Amino acid sequence: MSDDWTAVAAAGTDPLRLARVVARAVADRRGLEAGWRTARRAGRSGSEAIGDVLSAPVLVDDGAGAVARSWAAAGVRVALAGDPSMPTRLERHDVVPPWLAMTGDLGMDRRAVAIVGSRSATPYGTGMAAWLAEAAGDAGVRVVSGGAVGIDAAGHQASLARPGGTTVVLGCGHGVAYPRPHATRGGLFDRVGASGGAVISESLPTDPARPHRVRSRNRLIAALADAVVVVEGGERSGSLITASWAADLGIPVLGVPGDVRATGSAAPHHLLRDGAAVCAGPADLLAAVGQGLDPSATTDDDRDRGVSGLPRWLRVPLVEAWPRPLPTATLVDGSGRRAGEVLAAVTRAQVGGLVTRDADGIRLCRRP
Amino acid sequence: MTPVDEADLTVADLQVVVSDGTGADGASDDGRAPAASGSARRARGPLARAGAVALTGLSGDLVHAEAAIAAGLPQIRIVGLPDAAVRESADRVRLGCQRSGFSLPETKVVVNLAPAGIRKSGPGFDLPVALAVLAAAGHLAPADLDGVVAMGEVGLDGHLRGAAGTLPAATTARRVGAGRMVVPIDVAGEAALVEGLDVVPVGSLRDAVAVLAGTIACPARPRPPEPVQRDVDDLVDVRGQALARRGIEIAAAGGHHVLMMGPPGCGKSMLARRLPGILPGLTPAEALEVAAVRSIVGVVATDLDLRPPFRAPHHATSTAGLIGGGSGVARPGELSRAHRGVLFLDEVLETPRSTLDALREPLERGEVVLVRSQSRVTYPARVQLVVAANPCPCGHAGSSSRPCRCRPDQVARYRGRLSGPLLDRIDLHLELEPVSEDVLVGPSDGESSAAVAARVRQARDVAASRWAAADVPGDRRLNRDVDPARLRQTVSATAQRRLARAVQALGWSARTFDRCLRVARTIADLAASDVAGADHVDEAIAYRLDTGPRST
Repeated sequence: MSDDWTAVAAAGTDPLRLARVVARAVADRRGLEAGWRTARRAGRSGSEAIGDVLSAPVLVDDGAGAVARSWAAAGVRVALAGDPSMPTRLERHDVVPPWLAMTGDLGMDRRAVAIVGSRSATPYGTGMAAWLAEAAGDAGVRVVSGGAVGIDAAGHQASLARPGGTTVVLGCGHGVAYPRPHATRGGLFDRVGASGGAVISESLPTDPARPHRVRSRNRLIAALADAVVVVEGGERSGSLITASWAADLGIPVLGVPGDVRATGSAAPHHLLRDGAAVCAGPADLLAAVGQGLDPSATTDDDRDRGVSGLPRWLRVPLVEAWPRPLPTATLVDGSGRRAGEVLAAVTRAQVGGLVTRDADGIRLCRRP
Repeated sequence: MTPVDEADLTVADLQVVVSDGTGADGASDDGRAPAASGSARRARGPLARAGAVALTGLSGDLVHAEAAIAAGLPQIRIVGLPDAAVRESADRVRLGCQRSGFSLPETKVVVNLAPAGIRKSGPGFDLPVALAVLAAAGHLAPADLDGVVAMGEVGLDGHLRGAAGTLPAATTARRVGAGRMVVPIDVAGEAALVEGLDVVPVGSLRDAVAVLAGTIACPARPRPPEPVQRDVDDLVDVRGQALARRGIEIAAAGGHHVLMMGPPGCGKSMLARRLPGILPGLTPAEALEVAAVRSIVGVVATDLDLRPPFRAPHHATSTAGLIGGGSGVARPGELSRAHRGVLFLDEVLETPRSTLDALREPLERGEVVLVRSQSRVTYPARVQLVVAANPCPCGHAGSSSRPCRCRPDQVARYRGRLSGPLLDRIDLHLELEPVSEDVLVGPSDGESSAAVAARVRQARDVAASRWAAADVPGDRRLNRDVDPARLRQTVSATAQRRLARAVQALGWSARTFDRCLRVARTIADLAASDVAGADHVDEAIAYRLDTGPRST
């Protein structure tokens, strides 16, 4: 059993202390959380609060070994509050959990932005999220988000394999396949892992995604970032919780203006009304974290690379629509050319990696 | 046709007929008159035999209704594996004969449907049973029934009605070499579709007896229904939708199955309904196949429609309703009704997966085999499948005018219902956009069905002659059906390499490769190009939808 705990303990974490904290959590989750809050409110530091938690006797410790084995099997490391592996930002912002389970490298040496928004995203929203994440990633800025479908996924996806990297903050345990499309083999989480990104969680491996847990992880997203941008969200979007945590912690909040008629614009517009900064492009976002746009990503060469392979009649409407996708039928009807010719050109561009095509239509892969 | 005027045929005439018949029979049968009042000793009357057809699906067997007078209480007893409808025939025949003025012996008449091992069903046996009984009773000479096959339902007043399946029965009659087929007037035209068969249309039991006995002239052979082209909607009514029009044209030219995806009201079913109008017309032989299936389900062929049929069953149709089913002998479903034509499944994602999966094998084989405890029937099922679906549960994904309210995972799950083996058989995927206002009110901008049909016809001819030269069997000469190895020989190596690269770059399965080749081949046929080239392949690739989640 102790072998498992040794494998799981992150650098600088005592396996035995970790084993006892988790055993306590398994036996009496509420007691632990209440004790934790009391200690933190009393101004105790992370490691002192861990000491307080451990001073209470653990009568039953069934299941703690299974937890360790489950973490070890998934290649997860766990850090206790106050240990060197625990991100110092969490301690500084006073939102540190008793323990943090993680895979991959958190990249805490970099600046980070949180790109958050609703799960039911429009093509405009995912397009904006992807644009912001691409630029941030190229500028060496970490993209943090909640790993949900929609805006979160677009942000993670676009920042994969870019210098900044990405961090997924799960609202459930590492052992729970949620959201399902991302947790499957070869899904988003696998790709994040393969590209060196991090997947972190403050839950036990088998904790399912519950509303309180998902809301509570939003404070970690806010605290891990130097700026929070809300791309799209409804009136009661969870991204507003992230934004209000960020405001409480003194972290800049930005909102991406949207279509005023769309319900998905309610959250960012609400924030803008309350004094959030306008995010009208990557420059606004990167300025908020004190980093300019990566000049290498905006050279003329790059701009040419994006669209040079396209015939003019195809390039013009796609550039106009960008970052929104252009429905295929609209493209055909607008081009005045034979449908077959247009489709053949789209295929060539798609195979050449210049455009992507999905349910929403055709979109340029890179900013024109 | 010379329907007998009933006023001309009095009971007295009938008596003459009867006595004539009796005399002829009596001489050869101990001099007894079977039609005279009954007694047990008269049980040994002549054995009369009339031909009938027992249908099992579209194929039939010749059976004989053998009637003989037996000792017993007055009744007609039918033996030889009859079903409920055939057993009821006894009462119809008895009353029908009596009300037509024929007296039946006051004793038992046994009718055996031989061979007794074949199951007989339906009311079509009434007429042969009645003719055999009447001959046994002496109203008709048994020799008059030689080489005669009859089919039809007898009413209680002796009038005749057509029974379902007259056309396949007539085909069977000709195959087994029957000389004459006696059928009710209302289905005579249908039977006359079968060439080389002497069709005798009769209106009532009295007519039938009179014609067979030769007392009135045999009515002229009825005219078979005229070949006609059913009116279908014209493609010129469709506004905008250049992409979908092109897709439909390719589908028609290659016989490819089509998936149309688009928001409600964008014209999916409008386009599908116009597909029969651009498909090549049926040959008379093909139209006969269609009419035969219709005949089985009881639709009398009043004309011979050369347009490919169009069937659009509701999405709640059961599996049996779609592919055919029922106990005893399975009946054809919508799939077989659409044989040689178009089967359109709207809202296909609302149809249960198991129902859709049942279509797979029939689509592949071009026929559907339905096995029940008592029968195994094969119905034709060479259809072009057109399925339509909304792009997401709310229907507005990809729309620029109305926002989609579905989460991407909902969309993925919704579309996932279509993935799988059935989707693998659909070569062509079309995305449809809602038509904008100015296109709707603007002038008509598209070609007419006739112009498109001419190109389709040409492309099909090109393909058919190519595959004929390559020794492809006659019924597999659509690009949809040709086997992949042959197909590859007609696509340039460059284009194939290009396709392989694209399939890899887009992360598609290897199976997609052959489907893209098929479509590319058809596009090349439309362009009258011998070898499919890179442009054709590039266009073909674009007719594949990513049915997975948004790739963001």
